[in-house]
Amino acid sequence: MENLIQSLTERVKQAASNNTPLAIHGGNSKSFYGGAIRGDALDLRAYTGIIDYEPKELVLTVRAGTPLQEIETALEAAGQMLPFEPPYYADTATIGGTVATGLSGPRRPYTGAVRDFVLGTRIINGKGEDLSFGGRVIKNVAGYDVSRLMTGAMGTLGVLLDISFKVLPKPTDEITLRFEMDEATAIQRFNEWAGKPLPISATSWHQGVAMVRLSGAAAGVKAAREKLGGEAVADAQAFWRDLRDHRAPFFEDAEPLRRLSVPSTTSPLSLDLPQWIEWGGALRWVKGAADVKVLREKIASVGGHATLFRHGDKSVGVFHPLAPVLAKIHVNLKAAFDPDNILNPGRMDNFS
Amino acid sequence: MQTNLADWIKDTPEGREADSILRKCVHCGFCLATCPTYNLLGDELDSPRGRIYLMKQMLEGEAVTEKTQLHLDRCLTCRSCESTCPSGVQYGRLVDIGRELVEKKVGRSVAEGTQRGVLKRALPRTGLFSAALALGRIMKPVLPKALAAKIPVKRTPGAWPAPRHARNMLVLQGCVQPAIDPDINAATARVLDRVGVSLIAVPSAGCCGSLPQHLGDAEAAHVLIKRNIDAWWTYIEAGAEAVVVTASGCGTMVAEYGHALRNDPVYAAKAAKISALFRDVSQVVAAEQERLSPLLRASTPPSRVAFHSPCTLQHGLKIRGVVEGLLRDAGFELTAVPDGHLCCGSAGTYSILQPELSKQLRGNKIAALTSGSPAVIASANVACMAHLESGLDGKVPVRHWIEMLDEQLAAS
Amino acid sequence: MNAGLLADFSRITPALNVITDHERLRPFETDAFISHRAVPMCAILPEDETQVAAILASCSARGVPVVTRGAGTGISGGAIPSEDGVLLVLTRMNHIGKVDHQARTATVGPGVRNLAVSDAAAAHNLFYAPDPSSQLICSIGGNVAENSGGVHCLKYGLTTHNVLQVRLVLSGGESMTLGSRALDAAGYDLMAVVTGSEGMLGLVTEVVVKLTPVPEHVETLLAAFPSVTDAANAVGRIIGAGVVPAALEMMDKMVIEACEKFMSAGFPLDAEALLLIELDGVREEVADQLVRVEQVLNDCHAQEIRRAKSDAEREKLWKARKGAFAALATIRPDYYTIDGTIPRRCLPDVLARYTQLAEEYRMLVANVFHAGDGNLHPCIFYDATVPGEMERSEELGGKMLEICVEVGGTITGEHGVGVEKLRQMCVQFREAELATFHAIKAAFDPAGILNPGKGVPSLKRCAEWGGMHVREGKMPRADIPRF
Ligand SMILES: Cc1cc2nc3c(=O)[nH]c(=O)nc-3n(C[C@H](O)[C@H](O)[C@H](O)COP(=O)(O)OP(=O)(O)OC[C@H]3O[C@@H](n4cnc5c(N)ncnc54)[C@H](O)[C@@H]3O)c2cc1C
Ligand code: SF4
Ligand code: SF4
Repeated sequence: MENLIQSLTERVKQAASNNTPLAIHGGNSKSFYGGAIRGDALDLRAYTGIIDYEPKELVLTVRAGTPLQEIETALEAAGQMLPFEPPYYADTATIGGTVATGLSGPRRPYTGAVRDFVLGTRIINGKGEDLSFGGRVIKNVAGYDVSRLMTGAMGTLGVLLDISFKVLPKPTDEITLRFEMDEATAIQRFNEWAGKPLPISATSWHQGVAMVRLSGAAAGVKAAREKLGGEAVADAQAFWRDLRDHRAPFFEDAEPLRRLSVPSTTSPLSLDLPQWIEWGGALRWVKGAADVKVLREKIASVGGHATLFRHGDKSVGVFHPLAPVLAKIHVNLKAAFDPDNILNPGRMDNFS
Repeated sequence: MQTNLADWIKDTPEGREADSILRKCVHCGFCLATCPTYNLLGDELDSPRGRIYLMKQMLEGEAVTEKTQLHLDRCLTCRSCESTCPSGVQYGRLVDIGRELVEKKVGRSVAEGTQRGVLKRALPRTGLFSAALALGRIMKPVLPKALAAKIPVKRTPGAWPAPRHARNMLVLQGCVQPAIDPDINAATARVLDRVGVSLIAVPSAGCCGSLPQHLGDAEAAHVLIKRNIDAWWTYIEAGAEAVVVTASGCGTMVAEYGHALRNDPVYAAKAAKISALFRDVSQVVAAEQERLSPLLRASTPPSRVAFHSPCTLQHGLKIRGVVEGLLRDAGFELTAVPDGHLCCGSAGTYSILQPELSKQLRGNKIAALTSGSPAVIASANVACMAHLESGLDGKVPVRHWIEMLDEQLAAS
Repeated sequence: MNAGLLADFSRITPALNVITDHERLRPFETDAFISHRAVPMCAILPEDETQVAAILASCSARGVPVVTRGAGTGISGGAIPSEDGVLLVLTRMNHIGKVDHQARTATVGPGVRNLAVSDAAAAHNLFYAPDPSSQLICSIGGNVAENSGGVHCLKYGLTTHNVLQVRLVLSGGESMTLGSRALDAAGYDLMAVVTGSEGMLGLVTEVVVKLTPVPEHVETLLAAFPSVTDAANAVGRIIGAGVVPAALEMMDKMVIEACEKFMSAGFPLDAEALLLIELDGVREEVADQLVRVEQVLNDCHAQEIRRAKSDAEREKLWKARKGAFAALATIRPDYYTIDGTIPRRCLPDVLARYTQLAEEYRMLVANVFHAGDGNLHPCIFYDATVPGEMERSEELGGKMLEICVEVGGTITGEHGVGVEKLRQMCVQFREAELATFHAIKAAFDPAGILNPGKGVPSLKRCAEWGGMHVREGKMPRADIPRF
């Protein structure tokens, strides 16, 4: 593997000296997401495998090209999980792409996002330097938190090589409850419930139906179920998986899909577009044509941000534009890590 | 903290004591959280750790000015910081030493000096308290207003049972209390009489000495302490079990007699004995609780009470929860008092010398005490009681808790 | 004092509290890392963000260093002033704004005390989870700057997991909002970079924290062990059993005795090591975990297991734990606390090596630490009045940290680098990594005036110190040029 790293760093160095952009990729499961892809492909799939996994430590270290499936299988065998319930979008998903896009699944509001569980990274920066930050321990405040900065940076700051995660025991029992209620009631209930010590691990609302997943020890789940009411859903696993990976019919047409990240208590947005709510109200997927400017303003006014997630016209920018002071820091950081702008240029399109 | 005391103080008894206290402080800052002046002003210099540092500088021989003096003046000596400090730093002792040295090094302006001088001399003399008020006119504008507001309706003392028991204890009369509420000690005498203890007040004893002590005049304090010891000594030799104090402010002083006169060739041993015999009235009553409880419970449970635990009781004497327990046992319902560890702003002469801060603290304290809508506010120190009353405009009565037990007993 | 600067300050607002005299400046010369001190040129206690921004603008225009101070409880010297600089003390910016119980957030000033946030949220049955032992007084601004952890961070996370949004003022005086009240924000995760940046990137002037529901049920266990190794084994086994306790703390004999002496916590004095374990959550879940944990404790030779029977009893146990450091101060006048983190499986081995090192150096070392996180806090005792003792304690501490790096851990789990661990930074990081840190700083603070000289050593200093990079047992790379 050290040879492989050597050749990867060489390629980055070369690209830097020739000023030719590189398009970093793993399983291409999330290539639809983010700004346009440009440059020579830099395939990470050969850099694969679990480096270190000791269940007692709750720490896992893997190579970026490792398929997500392989990792989840290994964790499952030890009764553990990646707590952020990573979306696959396609079976080919690798852990590197998962971290680079920074996307998390239904469990996110209740246990944390991918950035919350990344402990350390080894990367190649735009100068071809092999660097390590953070570590394989749960607490670490030596130096700036570069590993979390890498998370969600869309590969624009460095090529991810190794990543260490904190993992958690997988809850032994799970049950999903179904309620019929309107949007406003669902948002209110989700927030009320989140303020109580209940073992909620996922929430969803779509077309008048709210779904709530409870996870934990059998007795705790049972007690919470009695408190909440609702009706138990059979085969709920498939439901959450389809939501996580956007395999439900709502997500499967070619309409522009927008990801609206808002404070969870934001009242119904009344956008007149088909909608699916997740994350206790904090994530609202909407579908269909919209005036981007008006939409962004509206979402910003409630304290959130809007992303064009899939399909649609990327020419007006995928990500929410940044305030000028913030954009300046982004430009500075990009220059610090990748002075020649060769790593995934344009994939993070809201500041350059 | 590492220290390096200056030659002029290093080898004196005060120097050695201050050094050992300073060495214990690890500069962790925990004490800031519960310091009333830091809470109000948000400045390290008005916090225990800041004051400790200012004193350390002075002791290490750095120039000291009225700036240090101001921050030490603003300290209430409430000793909340001591309760919080996990390293056992005896801040109260240190600030006594620090203040005396600052007083010597910096001095006072004429006006300030006069005001403090009068307070020191006039208040301690029993009977002269009201005369001090008259005198106060020359110290306008601060003194008359502040003190006038502090004079509540004078309560007439009830009967003091004649000594009839074999067990007897002495009680400190003090200087301010007899002028404001002479019934507190009488009530104590009646309660103790019911459980077989006679309480004796010796007329020639008076002020405990804390007033001059906290104004940085240890010498004047020592004179008063010795006078009290002389007044009590024959009774102690005759077998008085304890020296009971009903004002926790005075109690902290009596508890320190031994320390204050530890270097006095004549009085050291006697002073230590007095401190050993000292009891706050709550400790005495709690010790007799078994006999008292049935008597108290014989009458109907009275009203809701908010208890204001004086700093001298909870931080100075470290007596916590005892009075509350006695009141509850007697059937009173105690209302919740947020931030119970904070000072009410009375703090000896503080309400006169730092009127602004004192008033803010009083306002906060009254808000906290009344938040649970009590029918009565109970306390354990006459100065706090008078101070609170002056801010309450009669909205809620303020009583010494022993008077409430006394009434309860009388009713049963 | 720089006259031009003073004139600038007086123009901001006449009421600005600027301290310039030596007498009043000295109490600000150090934080809780008292072996190092420096008296600043002046100290200012601003009241709001506008004042902070104006002060920073004139300081950067004049190239004057600025050090920020919260409550001054840092133990790596992060708030120790620059002699030629301004100290900004944010303790007066202690306003608790909106506590939004629906959204479970609180908006607070940087000077608000950590515990005051939980107090403010208590009425809604919510609390602010990160609870450093200094929570009574340390400020939220300081917590963000240090990414502080606490005894409950094994389950509830560090500051970085519990802060949603911060207002940051850059050295040039520009203000901005990082993060958001939503669960993520557009762009790079700058919140993560600023959290734990030790005041070197910008000044935090407002923080929106996440509040957590108070758990329905809590169980606190005290387990006594005949040896440190047994206790250390139990730590790994508990987690191996699928239980993530809310807290999992360990103390050795010396700490037990000090706590007992000063706080009468009721700790068993015949034990060599104690574990303090807290389980919380839904009642039934906790009951289930309790059974599993007790089983592990018995298997690991616990000589005594006690369960706190009331909230009062629980509070007493935690008070003793949180006051442990201060209580230790009574053993010897001065002590030095290390903060390395190691993979949990190395606990028994590393603790044994520490004991051996302590013997070699003939110094007393006590251990009280966040065992669940593998975050060690050996306390080295010395007497500063004995010449050379302080230096020896620092040398011993340095060795202990190098062991942490060697086994794959880090030199600081929660206390930060400050001025204290600059040398060890050269051990943990290579030149190119340190250069990356410097570049990040420059991206935020091009003038380089914020907390200069702290947190990240200059490459030159590492070279002077010998730049011994020993990460994971590897010796310094020969291929990296030194200068
Ligand atoms: C007895 C004791 C126990 C402790 N226990 C723990 C523990 O369990 N866990 C733990 O993590 N820490 C612990 N600490 C360390 C310390 O309390 C924390 O680091 C705390 O977060 C510091 O907060 P502070 O307000 O005191 O910050 P300060 O000490 O004043 O400052 C710390 C650093 O933050 C910077 N800073 C402060 N405020 C701001 C701001 N608003 N904007 C930008 N930068 C700022 C300063 O420049 C400095 O670099 C302990 C300390 C003591 C003394
Ligand atoms: S005695 Fe009271 S006012 Fe004085 S420093 Fe201590 S806590 Fe503050
Ligand atoms: S709490 Fe005690 S040790 Fe800590 S700073 Fe205050 S006085 Fe010093």
